[in-house]
Amino acid sequence: MSDPIIALVMLGLFIVFIFLGFPIAFTLMAMGIMFGAYAYHTPGQALFDNNIFYLFTQNTFSVMNNDVLISIPLFLFMGYIIERANILDRLFESLQVSLRHVPGSMAVAALITCALFATATGIVGAVVTLMGLLALPSMLKAGYDQKLATGVIAAGGTLGILIPPSIMLIVYAATAGVSVVKLSAAAMVPGILLAGLYLVYVVTRVVINPSLAPKPKDVDDVGFLKAVQLLVTAFLPLAALIAVRYRIPQRREYGINEVKPQSDHSGQQE
Amino acid sequence: MIKFIRTVDYLSETIGKTFGWTVLVLTASTCYEVFRRYVMNDPTDWAFDMSYMLYGALFLMSGAYTLSKGGHVRGDFMYRKWQPRTQAKVDFVLYLLFFFPGVLALVFSGFFYGADAMRIQEVSVNSPVGVPVWPLKMIIFVAGITLVLQGLAELCRCILCIQNNEWLDRGDDVVELETALQQQFGKSEEGHKA
Repeated sequence: MSDPIIALVMLGLFIVFIFLGFPIAFTLMAMGIMFGAYAYHTPGQALFDNNIFYLFTQNTFSVMNNDVLISIPLFLFMGYIIERANILDRLFESLQVSLRHVPGSMAVAALITCALFATATGIVGAVVTLMGLLALPSMLKAGYDQKLATGVIAAGGTLGILIPPSIMLIVYAATAGVSVVKLSAAAMVPGILLAGLYLVYVVTRVVINPSLAPKPKDVDDVGFLKAVQLLVTAFLPLAALIAVRYRIPQRREYGINEVKPQSDHSGQQE
Repeated sequence: MIKFIRTVDYLSETIGKTFGWTVLVLTASTCYEVFRRYVMNDPTDWAFDMSYMLYGALFLMSGAYTLSKGGHVRGDFMYRKWQPRTQAKVDFVLYLLFFFPGVLALVFSGFFYGADAMRIQEVSVNSPVGVPVWPLKMIIFVAGITLVLQGLAELCRCILCIQNNEWLDRGDDVVELETALQQQFGKSEEGHKA
């Protein structure tokens, strides 16, 4: 068999075994070793002298001391703390109370909560599920259109991977050997733009057809000062986190430059 | 057999949770380094090595724990519709065919890789303080051993499931707040396990 054919066979087998439902990590590992052993095989060589085993440990170690991927456990840890602290709940409540005069106030509050939360967590699933539990029941109870309410949450949740910092951007940067900071900077404007467009869309639709999102009746009519106080107390922890997050990528960049000056341009040495 | 599975599960869980604490140390040391670097303008010479070592140890040593909780990502859109017995048969074959060759390679080549580093007492090249790097290389071998043990336990699980057509439970795990909320709101939808 020629080399391209072997590569195609490997790809095909890989897809087949993924579809069989075996954990992807181990499928990849075994495929790499088996096909690598075949590729590096030289006649008359013992199996364990094969180069692939050396490459395998080398690569494992290079992932272990990858200085970009460090941020993922830290990131998850932060998301976990935010989740346990129940900040999302308070944020949604306070936004909803302060935005009650805006058309479609609850949908707008849900979108803003999603966008703000996207700056703190980097994944899609968590925000969608949490908002689905917190915001969806109250929206449906207030008589919101079901399609609008669910759409707002699903769309808002996906902002998580676009608005930096996002785990997807980190993994991509580590794989492709590009700067995390530059990627994040590039994703910033599209993310905010998208969030803004979602807001415009929701408000416009509600203005055209107010029956989509009737005004909730049972919202407490709090004073202006009280609303400000609610907002501040709900925002502060998140604002502090966002501020910290935007320091860390910069720090990491300097760190790499100080330790290995060539790193910024040559990327990961893998 | 069940006793063996429980013992290995317990071992993996202990190791995983122990190494889970490294994320706290990692956070603390990174914060300390940021403070030293930007406030006192006097960066430490060990924080960079420490951060990637803690991360590397965390990521490799939690593999067995993840396996014991069934947390590795599967492309399971067909898999989840099968009978437990079929799932167990497929898993059993694929564990033998795929899991063990890969993990055993990790154990053996990781052992020689780590042993070489240990013999020369290898230190990190990133700073002049000479942070020893061979324990990190040795972790590849140790993680391989834990994965082999857990893999044997998973094989036993498969055998039990082929006999009973029912998966042995995987014990309690940390519940995400969303699941806790679902229980609180009395909703019994499918769990949102990724």
